[in-house]
Amino acid sequence: MSSISSLVPSRFLTLIAHLVIVITIFWSRENNVRACLPLEYTNEEYNQEDTRLVVALSVTLGLFFVELAGFFSGISMFNNNQSLLSTACHASGAVALLFFLFEQWTCSIYWWIFGFCSVIPALYEMFLLFTVLGLKKKPL
Amino acid sequence: MDLPEPIRRRLGDFSRTVFVDQTFSKLTPEDHVKFLNQNREVVSSLPLQMSLFFNLWFFPLWWISEVVMLQLKYPALPDYYKFILITVLILMTLIEGIRLYLGYAGNLQEKVPELAGFWLLSLLLQFPLTLFLLFNEAILIQPLERGVHIILALFILAEALSGFVALRAMVRNTESRFHLRQFNGIQELGA
Repeated sequence: MSSISSLVPSRFLTLIAHLVIVITIFWSRENNVRACLPLEYTNEEYNQEDTRLVVALSVTLGLFFVELAGFFSGISMFNNNQSLLSTACHASGAVALLFFLFEQWTCSIYWWIFGFCSVIPALYEMFLLFTVLGLKKKPL
Repeated sequence: MDLPEPIRRRLGDFSRTVFVDQTFSKLTPEDHVKFLNQNREVVSSLPLQMSLFFNLWFFPLWWISEVVMLQLKYPALPDYYKFILITVLILMTLIEGIRLYLGYAGNLQEKVPELAGFWLLSLLLQFPLTLFLLFNEAILIQPLERGVHIILALFILAEALSGFVALRAMVRNTESRFHLRQFNGIQELGA
């Protein structure tokens, strides 16, 4: 199968790259949280923004888990549409999050990145999971 | 490219002691049937092969992240940790290469000594080194390092578990194929 030679490893690598950057942001979110806040802020405001970012990151990890479950169980591993969509979304997500980290963008931008680069592949993955497990169609 | 003969023999003996029930048991009728049928089932393990394949693709990413992070935090480390971390990096690189090669050869060609060598290397060498890099806070663990080490640890764990199952199935298969169990307890008969 030709998709084994390049689509599957590239999808895996972009998924892992995106995942690694999300884990990295988890541990170094201080600068980004401070970028959301005005120059003078109280501790409660800081904690509020921090909690929001943690929630966003946790939801991202949850969606990652859904997509990895579909990928490693073989349900969507050889589906060319999903591989292409996933590779494109996660690659752009990884690059965007790289800028988010290095340029210290504000927290609200993270929700945009999350929406485009995590939700879309996870939604298609859930759709595939439903068709294979629920409607008993063939995975390919 | 095979392992040297003494190592193969030792790993084979190790596999047979650890993975198979040692009590002397009479051969059941279904064992005879299995032997006569020239049992041709495939004992390569799919989960193990998947873990190995994706681990192989993940390894360059891990290596580059680790080297860049080490280079960045090098001036801030105490002297003994500088030496330790460079040694650990070189060791892990070499062991990973040998381990992945042995895993591929052992699983795809159904060779028990190679697979046993792979399993031992993963569990006894690579896993402690990875845990050392992940949990020892004194080496100034960076967030990126945490990310890649967590994923490597998950891979090694998956390979240890699926490797154990694959190794047990493979040893039992070779045993039944070569009818070796009837020779258990032959020492006592002679004495």
